[in-house]
Amino acid sequence: MDFGTSDFKFGPITCGENPRIVNNRGYFPDKKSLVYRAFDSAADVIVGDEVPLYLQSNEDLTTRLIHPMKNGMIDKSDDNAWKVVGALCQFGLNSFPITDNNGFHGYNVVASLSAVSPRYMYERLLELFKEASYSGKVRAVTMIPQPFAVAIGHGVTTCVVIESGHGNSQVCPISKYPIHSAQVALNRGGGDANAITSEILKDSGYGDLAREESLVRKVKESIGLIPDDLDAAIAEARRTPRKFRARHKVPGTRVEIDLDQDSWSRFLIGEYVFNPNHEIFESYFRRGMSRPRDVRMGETTFRGMLDFGEAIVTSVEKCPVELQPMLYREILLSGGNFSWKVPPALQAFAVDAPTKIQSLLRKKGIRNVSVKMTGSPQFSVWHGCIIYGFAIPEDYEWDWQRLEGWMKFAA
Amino acid sequence: MDGLNIERPSNPGTLCFASSNECTHVSILTPSDIIQRNRVIDTLLHLSSLRYEGTQPYVAAPRLLCATLDSQIIRSSGIGLLVYDERRIEEVIKPERIQPPRKIQQEPAPSNADSPLLSELAELKSRYAELERNITLMRSEFKSVQALASTSIQPSHDFINEHRFDTFQHSTPPFASSRLQEGSLPSFFVNNPWLDVLAKRGRTEDPPLAG
Repeated sequence: MDFGTSDFKFGPITCGENPRIVNNRGYFPDKKSLVYRAFDSAADVIVGDEVPLYLQSNEDLTTRLIHPMKNGMIDKSDDNAWKVVGALCQFGLNSFPITDNNGFHGYNVVASLSAVSPRYMYERLLELFKEASYSGKVRAVTMIPQPFAVAIGHGVTTCVVIESGHGNSQVCPISKYPIHSAQVALNRGGGDANAITSEILKDSGYGDLAREESLVRKVKESIGLIPDDLDAAIAEARRTPRKFRARHKVPGTRVEIDLDQDSWSRFLIGEYVFNPNHEIFESYFRRGMSRPRDVRMGETTFRGMLDFGEAIVTSVEKCPVELQPMLYREILLSGGNFSWKVPPALQAFAVDAPTKIQSLLRKKGIRNVSVKMTGSPQFSVWHGCIIYGFAIPEDYEWDWQRLEGWMKFAA
Repeated sequence: MDGLNIERPSNPGTLCFASSNECTHVSILTPSDIIQRNRVIDTLLHLSSLRYEGTQPYVAAPRLLCATLDSQIIRSSGIGLLVYDERRIEEVIKPERIQPPRKIQQEPAPSNADSPLLSELAELKSRYAELERNITLMRSEFKSVQALASTSIQPSHDFINEHRFDTFQHSTPPFASSRLQEGSLPSFFVNNPWLDVLAKRGRTEDPPLAG
């Protein structure tokens, strides 16, 4: 089971290449409503494909529809969020029919959590699966960090996995095991690219559109670029604005966003994610845009202004010296925040995420580097979970120091 | 086991167990043997020949490498298959026994005590016929093993498609194995070094670095 911030991916090995996917959310119906009473077997929390059937009004979206994970974490005291997670676990376990009397004694479940999940998340999940074991559906459970699952799914035993999602990013060295003590977390992700995009839209006269979060995200994906060299890219874009013109038409409407002479600012969107330290961003901070801060969540400090190159070097240099060259040679990028366009006409100035990381590392003096995107960014975590559960010996018992092994439940 | 003797094997990598009425011969393949085509063929041919001497032949192969062996061919050749890893040994295919030629060919001794040569000639004739049958059978088995060995070094999707999930080590519920027998292992299993790394967890392995 892969508990992503947006999606819950699950399934046994018999699913083949791809798991089943449902939104990572749950709906708490109003038990007095007619809709609830019309469904005799309605549960306290609805998950999966049935959720839209119960939605009644826009008010429901904020009060009754719960997305349990915020940046991959669940607050310890958020009981509703834990109920949603429990319901999703049951939903996943019950989604695959089992023939009676065929000797099935319960699944061995592999659950994957964010690399920065604190211990209490492991403990709460184990409790949920222990409850599920009473139904006979779970025989044993284990949990692994998502970057570790990515490395397993990708088939690389020594590497650095960089996961970047909406709210934060993590740099995780792996050498047959996750090297927990060397992990570096950044308080920056796709949401920060949305923030700078919003500022750019305001500066270009689209202040009203800048307030609509989903539109801002679409504009970011449409026009945002990563510069190889920000100064050179801005200079060239200012010199030949037509070549770099940034336009986005909202489908089904007459709304069209055109940055025109300000199209150079599309390079700020990508640069901000990878390196927010350029002086050009100071003017945005002075005008009120939130500067990414260092934040402590659980047991982890998320660094706000560390660029990706410095984050990788900091992480790798916490590992043994003889391991470091091997880690630099296999850097894997995972997560939606690394999917950036490179228009063919702009290839001289715009690069993809792997190239940008290489460039940042080169500036730190690290040369012999190989950076790749994971082959299946949407499913690599689930792939890793399947392989892990398949290969781990059954008598390898759970250990709270290692955070590995099977937690078995009595039959 | 009562009456079971372990005999000194003639070849390295083999075990022989003999009791009063039967003999079991186990040829053990190691991971390095599997990638040597001739070693696999030699072993299977040798075991096949032992069937006609009243021996129960087994081939023992590492569990993780059983994906490269087509169990159907081994089954049709009458050889038993044992699968082993660090934890246990499992009999996956039972051997098919063949009566020793001696018993099948046993005929009443010629009543003429003056013609021991005739009886010996008759026995030689029957054994020759049996040998001819063996050679024909071994030729067809050899061709099958050759075809298997030519692709066994680089497992391809075709082999994965023929693989039987229930020869693998994990005691997953029958629900999973009954679906997978018809399909294939997912592509992300192919050549994945983590299978070997993770299988050794808790066994002889390096401790985690700064874990």
